[in-house]
Amino acid sequence: MTAAIRENATDRSNTGATQLPRVLSPTGAPMDLLAHLKVHGDTPYRGGPRMLIHTIESAGLTGRGGAAFPTHRKLTAVADQKGIPVVVGNGAEGEPASDKDKLLLWSSPHLVLDGLQLAAEAVGARRVHLYVHRHPELLQRLRSALAERATAGLDRIAVGLVAAPPRFLAGEETALASRVEGGSALPRFAPPRIFERGVDGAPTLVQNVETLAQIALISRYGPAWFRAIGTEQEPGSMLTTLRPADGGGGVAETAIGTPITELLRLAEHPARAVLVGGYHGAWLTPEQAGHLTLSNADLRPFGAAVGAGVLVALPTDRCGIVESARVVRYLALESAGQCGPCLNGLPRIAATFSALANRQFARSALEDLQRWSTLVERRGACHHPDGTVRFLRSALNVFSDEVTLHAAGRCSAGTTAPFLPIPTATPSYEEDWS
Amino acid sequence: MTTGTALWYASRATGVVCLVLFSVVAILGIMVNRQGRLPGLPRFVVTGLHRNLSLLTVAFLGMHIVTAIADGYVHIPLLSTIVPFTSGYERFWIGLGTVAVDLMVAVIVTSLLRDRLAPAVWRSVHWLSYVSYPVAVVHSMGASKDLQSGWLLALTMTSVFAVATAIGYRVNDAFASVPRSHRVPQQLVRADRTGSLR
Repeated sequence: MTAAIRENATDRSNTGATQLPRVLSPTGAPMDLLAHLKVHGDTPYRGGPRMLIHTIESAGLTGRGGAAFPTHRKLTAVADQKGIPVVVGNGAEGEPASDKDKLLLWSSPHLVLDGLQLAAEAVGARRVHLYVHRHPELLQRLRSALAERATAGLDRIAVGLVAAPPRFLAGEETALASRVEGGSALPRFAPPRIFERGVDGAPTLVQNVETLAQIALISRYGPAWFRAIGTEQEPGSMLTTLRPADGGGGVAETAIGTPITELLRLAEHPARAVLVGGYHGAWLTPEQAGHLTLSNADLRPFGAAVGAGVLVALPTDRCGIVESARVVRYLALESAGQCGPCLNGLPRIAATFSALANRQFARSALEDLQRWSTLVERRGACHHPDGTVRFLRSALNVFSDEVTLHAAGRCSAGTTAPFLPIPTATPSYEEDWS
Repeated sequence: MTTGTALWYASRATGVVCLVLFSVVAILGIMVNRQGRLPGLPRFVVTGLHRNLSLLTVAFLGMHIVTAIADGYVHIPLLSTIVPFTSGYERFWIGLGTVAVDLMVAVIVTSLLRDRLAPAVWRSVHWLSYVSYPVAVVHSMGASKDLQSGWLLALTMTSVFAVATAIGYRVNDAFASVPRSHRVPQQLVRADRTGSLR
């Protein structure tokens, strides 16, 4: 039976190289172990550490958690360390505008779990965790997926499930390490970097769950298959969370390098601006978005990045300043309150920006925002202040006309109903970090 | 005043200076913590003063001990520098001084090695300052008749009172302190109210 499945899998690699979706379920229905084995076959173990790393390097896979760091370099860095590594699959996805990791874990849990085992084999780890959003149904589903695999004897290392608190920073690597150790999901100072000393002092490989699913596919179908879509520099597919201006959208798997216009159907639903990369990302004008593709090569010159694949088209009847001020306020409240610049700076920035959005314009507001932004940048244990400031600056830039209107006590919005998703109640108690 | 009495006076004088310096160092150490600070002083100034004055205290303490031992008027063996209650003269009161010195040495050595120690180790040894200080005060008052009356008594009482006040302030502050998770929302409310609107 295994042979038949393998054959089937090889067929797919020959004929379906450009076919999408790859990591998501082809039928759309969540894949249990039987369906997974039918489509993809057995877990393709390589038989020893490091053997997979070269394949990943040829494929040119980069991290899908947001930083787009070359995966093979991370694997090598961890495998080169002295101690026995720990591997953690990161599915915490604190970004409110992103849904892709939750959907992937729901739709193709076995691809992620295969990737987790393969990554553990590649770096020689003996301890493996999956860190996911504290969502009862999702946890239940993953528990039963792990039970299915235990019965089938697929996993060589038992996977420990760890629940992440519903905080923006819960997926930050050092916060993840702290949570996996049993503490609160609070960012820590680096160095030591997580790949040197992470969970319980062991070298730790943290990979986004989508990256793990891609690893599971590459190790089956090979680098050439992986490179059949995407661009030369940024090959493969990626999951995106699309929010077009009509309020529809959802998670879609797309080839890297697809035009943004096409993804957000901008011709059909014109936008006032496009947000790329989520709340630590940047705004683009409709003109910029109109001729750019979803790729870092295209976006970097505009101060933006694909990040975790969030694309939002702001409808023409909304005010970018009002929307952005709401986001900055949310980000300020999501500060862990550990570092002075974040604790003292972000609330002030948020309050001043909110006042601007409410058309209570102070002469010094713009100057203050610029000055405080410079003061908080690169001064935190983690990148929370940096990401927040990047978002703020791009908002002031792209919506500069709107800023002028607000300074004159006016606003061009047809409605103030919120468009960008923001969790309604921000948990503010200590236990909500664990 | 002969050479002999000069040493004797030097020992008593440096002892008094040590007491005052130790009090100041203690107050600075007590007042600086994660959220608290001395009015008008940035936190790094307070920690800097705390560290530098503690080393100055060690210098005076060294003089205090050396002059006391070198002085021939009463015999205090060298061993009494480290081992408590070995002095023939004022065995108990001098012994308390030795206890205070031993504890202080532990605190200072761990502070100098702080980069190489686990924070918990440094912190727990540092708590010994709260034992060292009162023992040093009792030593001063018991071993020296000077401190038992007049303006030196007043000075000692003022020092002790100041340290006690600082401890009271710190304890009260600990109870009133905002939990980490509430700090950011509190700051945001404050920023909204005062308005960066000028």
